[in-house]
Amino acid sequence: MQVALRKFFAIMPFLFGIGFIAPLIAQSMAALHVAPPWGLSHVSFGLLIGAPWGLYATWRGRWL
Amino acid sequence: MSAPDGQTLEDALIEPAGAGTGAGIAVTEPSVDTGLTPAVPLPRGDGLDAHVRRTLLQQERAIGVKYAGHNVRTWPYAVIAIGCFAAWISFFPLAIMGILPLWLGCALTSVFVAGGYVVAHEAMHSNLGRPGTPQRFWNELTGQISTIPLILPFSMVKTMHLLHHQHTNHPENDPDAIHAAPNLFMAMVKSWINRQPGAIGTGARWRRHCAELGTPEAKRAVVETMLLQLAAMTFFFAMAWSGYAIEVAMLWWLPRHLGLTYIHAVLSWATHHPHDKTARYENTRVIRHPLGEVLSFGIDYHLIHHLYPHIPFHATGAAYREMKPLLEARGVDCSAH
Repeated sequence: MQVALRKFFAIMPFLFGIGFIAPLIAQSMAALHVAPPWGLSHVSFGLLIGAPWGLYATWRGRWL
Repeated sequence: MSAPDGQTLEDALIEPAGAGTGAGIAVTEPSVDTGLTPAVPLPRGDGLDAHVRRTLLQQERAIGVKYAGHNVRTWPYAVIAIGCFAAWISFFPLAIMGILPLWLGCALTSVFVAGGYVVAHEAMHSNLGRPGTPQRFWNELTGQISTIPLILPFSMVKTMHLLHHQHTNHPENDPDAIHAAPNLFMAMVKSWINRQPGAIGTGARWRRHCAELGTPEAKRAVVETMLLQLAAMTFFFAMAWSGYAIEVAMLWWLPRHLGLTYIHAVLSWATHHPHDKTARYENTRVIRHPLGEVLSFGIDYHLIHHLYPHIPFHATGAAYREMKPLLEARGVDCSAH
């Protein structure tokens, strides 16, 4: 159980990028009436930023 | 957990090994007449003799007991903790219904996060109810609910905080030594860096401390931390994908980061800076924080807290004023207050 949780937490930044940052970006843009580029939807654009950012944080161990 | 010399941790917190040795403390003439006459008159620059040190310690302890948690009123801590926790929970539906402005909810929650740590801190030292007393339930309840906004279980913050008391300012063994920084701005930057998910972060360091402790309490703290973080992330993700990402960001995510920055920069860094001394009377200090006594939660008298952790923070000022002549006799710099 604990080992499984540890492995799960190792990819938590990636999950955080998809699970929280992506919808936060999407809903913030919608609230501010900012249109996403390239005809993307708000959610797609949020995922385009959140997923790679989370992946970077998982890989590097830091968000910036 | 036991101290290296066989003391129990509780003993070590009340009377650390080496206390009263006066190691590294230059003697100064007492600025106030303490009524103490050294057994052998000592010229300036010499150490206090054993008799004077023992007498000073006895007087200190008497003041420590007078203001200890079981001798002063502490029930308001539990009332405040329960009230703030209930208010914070209510913020989510109130914000979603548009009744509570998000900026106000964010500001109040940030205060709750920082204040919650202060209240939980009293519970860490069992100041709200010692084991075996009827008040113990409220001590534990207060601790458990106060650290939830930090997404840290009470068991973990308690374990790390008691370790901090045991090894104050030790670069490897003090969990809070990770906050050492040359100035306030860098302390805030360091606070952010320490929150990173990789090996440089507090999480990795705390796991190492828990592994080194190896106690059932430390193992339980690790498991509880994972479970609480899992529960919090589940809440974050579910709310965010249900259309309430901004509400969660403003009522939990952002206040948590603001609160942690405050806790690290004000409550930890300022009082132990420059983190280079480990002796009982030198590992923290009496300061005059720019935020004032109220906004800094009485952090000015952090020395009193480290000497006598069973004094609740609201009583450290009064205890300090009584203890000041004794501390000055030991050469402690009391010029700030």
